[in-house]
Amino acid sequence: MRYIILIFLLFFNFSYVNADAIYNLIKIPNLEVHKVDNLNGIKYLVSKRGFVIGDTNNIKCNGINNSDLDREFNTIQNNLRDYNSNFLRKINLKFVVLCKNLEISGINTGGIPDNKFRTLILDLTFNQNYFERMIHHEIFHMIDNSFPELFKKNQWSELNNKDFSYASCSTCTDLLGLDLEITKGFLTEYSMSTAEEDMAEIYSLLKTNFKEIDLLIKKDNILTKKKNFLIKGLKEIDEKFIF
Amino acid sequence: MIKIIKPSLSEKILFIFLILLIILTLGSFYLLNNKCLFVKKIDLNNFKFKDKQNIAIMEVECGKVIIELDPNISPKAVNRFKKLINKGFYNGSAFYRVIENTLIQAGDIEYGNISNINYSKVGTGKSGLGKIKSELSDNFLFNAGSVAFARKENFDTEDSEFFITLIDIPIYQGEYTPIGRVIAGIDSLKKIKVGNKSTYVLKPDYIKSLRLLVN
Repeated sequence: MRYIILIFLLFFNFSYVNADAIYNLIKIPNLEVHKVDNLNGIKYLVSKRGFVIGDTNNIKCNGINNSDLDREFNTIQNNLRDYNSNFLRKINLKFVVLCKNLEISGINTGGIPDNKFRTLILDLTFNQNYFERMIHHEIFHMIDNSFPELFKKNQWSELNNKDFSYASCSTCTDLLGLDLEITKGFLTEYSMSTAEEDMAEIYSLLKTNFKEIDLLIKKDNILTKKKNFLIKGLKEIDEKFIF
Repeated sequence: MIKIIKPSLSEKILFIFLILLIILTLGSFYLLNNKCLFVKKIDLNNFKFKDKQNIAIMEVECGKVIIELDPNISPKAVNRFKKLINKGFYNGSAFYRVIENTLIQAGDIEYGNISNINYSKVGTGKSGLGKIKSELSDNFLFNAGSVAFARKENFDTEDSEFFITLIDIPIYQGEYTPIGRVIAGIDSLKKIKVGNKSTYVLKPDYIKSLRLLVN
């Protein structure tokens, strides 16, 4: 019994130390290294005990267990392997933190990008129907945050019909539908919330289902302009970029 | 007439036990107060250095620490480190930030010298030499004893603060600018004072001196 307790204490101590070293780097507590992807250099970190962060403790996420991780990890890794290390360096993404029931200010969300710490927090339990799209949606926010001059919101807004205007923030509206629902110039209801979300929605849909979405976009002149706008910016970042 | 009374066996045992207890108490007190007791002393005469120009000797409470600088990986950072050493800026620099059994950090020239440490500002001081660009390397493994410049959240903000890892921290690879490695004396660094509840340390241990083997 004594030895079992000793082994337990040693294990606990090791995890704690490791977590502190990671906290030193990205300021999120209670993380462990899950995997470092040698293909693009992404460092996957998992939260097994959950965390609360943010200046006002407004970001919360619960810990995950091994079965949560086994179920989703390959999907996440495969989608992120679309991006090479050079591109990821440009958009300030190095660490992907995996946890569940992620929320910001009490609102559930699939992911939270943090360019300052080169971190993307992902909720493993996000709606399965939109999970892969959500990954690329959040990646676009990292792209946008890193290169705001390439994705100017006023220029984007001018591509819409003149009688349309976005809400002041993505949570200031009840336009939250993520299903494909083409309205003049928009692919989903959520696209109509803000210019940033509109860009991220088009980007993520093209990234996950290019052939079908591209055909739909070609039928709509506003969407075609928006797609070209995105491609122009993305090519500035990486001239070899393809959806 | 005084009658001599012989102690019984149990009284003798009790007496011996009390003597042992006193010895143990005093011994423990001595051991607890002497954290450097089991730290092996470093004798520079026992070392043959290939590249004497890139050897730094740090003196801390428990003894000497030998650091081998690596200008091949980060030439500008090593140059800055040497410049700060030669100016004597690191002498008295407090290990104000310690993550227990993980890493120790010192080198705040402005607010982190033990002679006038400013607890409210330590960690924000400058050397006066300006920031340098990060020199990151995927070839430098952050094993125990790695010495690297600390930085703010952003890259290219290295100045004078540095940390030494006490364990392997592979996740730091490519994240911090390496300066070199501790090749002897890491046990002395493991005895550096740790904070009670925080990684910031009150009345911290400090670098008695930091010099280059060859100027």
